[in-house]
Amino acid sequence: MTDSSHTSSTNTPSAGTSSASAAALPALPGRWERFRDSYLLYSFKRDVIAQLSLLVFIALVAIAAFAPWLSPMNPYDLAQIDILSSELPPFWIDGSDPAYLLGTDAQGRDMLSTILYGARVSLIIGFGAVALQAVIGVSFGLMAGYLGGRVDAFLMRLADIQLSFSTLMVAIIVGALVKAIFGSATFSTYAVPLLVVIIGLAEWPQYARTVRASVLAERSKEYVDAARVMGLRSKRIMFRHVLPNTLSPIFVISTVQIANAIISEAALSFLGLGMPETHPSLGSLIKAGFDYIQSGSWWITLIPGAVLVILVLSINLLGDWLRDVMNPRLYKG
Amino acid sequence: MALLEVNHLDVHFALRKGDVHALRDINFTLERGERLGIVGESGAGKSVAAFALLNLIAKPGFIAGGEVNFEGKTLNTMSERRLRKVRGNRISMIFQDPMMTLNPVLSIGEQMIECLKAHRRITSKRARAIALDKLHQVQIPSPETRLAQYPHELSGGMRQRVIIAIALLLDPDIIIADEPTTALDVTIQAEIMALLLNLCEQHNVGLILITHDLGVVSQVTQRMLVMYAGRVIEQGPTREIINDPQHPYTQGLINALPQMATPGEQLNQIPGSMPSLDNLPSGCAFHPRCGFVERADGTTRRACIDEVPGFVTSGNCQAACHMVAEMVDDRRLKEESL
Repeated sequence: MTDSSHTSSTNTPSAGTSSASAAALPALPGRWERFRDSYLLYSFKRDVIAQLSLLVFIALVAIAAFAPWLSPMNPYDLAQIDILSSELPPFWIDGSDPAYLLGTDAQGRDMLSTILYGARVSLIIGFGAVALQAVIGVSFGLMAGYLGGRVDAFLMRLADIQLSFSTLMVAIIVGALVKAIFGSATFSTYAVPLLVVIIGLAEWPQYARTVRASVLAERSKEYVDAARVMGLRSKRIMFRHVLPNTLSPIFVISTVQIANAIISEAALSFLGLGMPETHPSLGSLIKAGFDYIQSGSWWITLIPGAVLVILVLSINLLGDWLRDVMNPRLYKG
Repeated sequence: MALLEVNHLDVHFALRKGDVHALRDINFTLERGERLGIVGESGAGKSVAAFALLNLIAKPGFIAGGEVNFEGKTLNTMSERRLRKVRGNRISMIFQDPMMTLNPVLSIGEQMIECLKAHRRITSKRARAIALDKLHQVQIPSPETRLAQYPHELSGGMRQRVIIAIALLLDPDIIIADEPTTALDVTIQAEIMALLLNLCEQHNVGLILITHDLGVVSQVTQRMLVMYAGRVIEQGPTREIINDPQHPYTQGLINALPQMATPGEQLNQIPGSMPSLDNLPSGCAFHPRCGFVERADGTTRRACIDEVPGFVTSGNCQAACHMVAEMVDDRRLKEESL
């Protein structure tokens, strides 16, 4: 998994002078030139789906990040909510109010604003949970793979045990416990960090296993022996020498894990164990609107649902592309 | 006191199929600035010996007995912390395959500076200057550019130069070179070997050269060990062993060199192959391949099959062989009867 080879220089020296003497070596490419000439960019330029997904993903992240400035109203501010304008349809249906572009929900909140804020919450939880997973999983995987022996056996059994509990089960138990002990109000206040911790803890074995597998492959390479012969510490060899060589698989599973974390959060919220309706994520929006499908107000649940699907799909498609690019077997032959 | 003293070094590997005795009773010394060759076939234990010197035998292997003394301090009982101060700093090592020894994701400069900073308290700027100086010494073209380059941007020969530069980085007392030229193009091999020899002489660095190339050993080293199946079977001054090998295995190795063959004839070879370490023959490990188990008069030398031979001294060399022992005895008897 030498991802350095992606940055291998593909620029051909000007014709004729390629075998010039050492003194006439071309100036060394900087980071930007290396990136510009990389296989990563080359393949991205030729993959329309990857380009579209990245565009959609960046757009969604941007509007989520700038939600407070972009959205017409603040859905968290009770003063701005008008119960009289509840369940208004989106603009293309008769009876809509031009002030509410995507209609309103049952409490009279502007759908567009709640979706923007909701996507923000979903993305924060998704990225936060994956960051936590990565920190735990990568360190455990590194230790298990590099140190081996009992450490390896202990950490991997721990991972097996963790994997035998499904994310939902852990979340339901922890969520229920917190609600029972500290009350719903406390749960609502700390819902975001709590969900990050729950989803992060539930899925770290994915990272640990992937990292361990590639560390095992890297550990037997001579550069690790060479680093030990140089008298470097184990910790330094693990993090500075071995870890960078396992980055490609880490990148690839990160995309999958972000999508998974966002879905997990949505599922939990849908079950009423995630974000409260006063502070909705995409999942809790879908749940809130679900009760009104029968009464004909389908947009309350369907529009956030569509946003969720588009978000997850764009991440997954990006992950697919990344996996193809970073798999050395597919392009090196 | 010698700079490096290896006494009765024993290395075992605790494998699932049983205990494998990879090194048995290795003894040698290395003086400051001396060059020692360790020769043997693949699997004879040469590389294990190199790693054992730095106490870097990986599990399931372990040093079961004996000691490695460096400047009077025993390396194999030293704490990991103090050992790290020896590794890379006082004793450094060059590996066989330059494609594999450098970390692919770190630039040459980063790897060199890291090594310096692990052992000395110096600024990055100073470390860079030292790294650059060493790259100059190994005569790599445009060293400034190399510092920022990654290993995959260099050719095999250049990488091995970089590795030699890294080995010299902290002005070590000993360099252990484990087949430093095997993975290189034949045209580069001589160049790299000459460079290594030159630098060792210049800086008065001791060299332990591990190789299966008798030609290189005879040109570069002053003393040599011949290893067979985890044991040293002959040791002494390189010139004497090459000119007058005592042990039948060493004789076989030298006879197998292409320049020893008659033109147009097949190359000479030692019949059979080296036994695996977990299934050694009884007595002398070489006896199934040896042409001297039978004496000239047709009688079998039982000792070869039953007894592990000890070292007998003949001139400045020592060989572990019953046949040589008999010859030496005969000679002594003759001299006494005269």
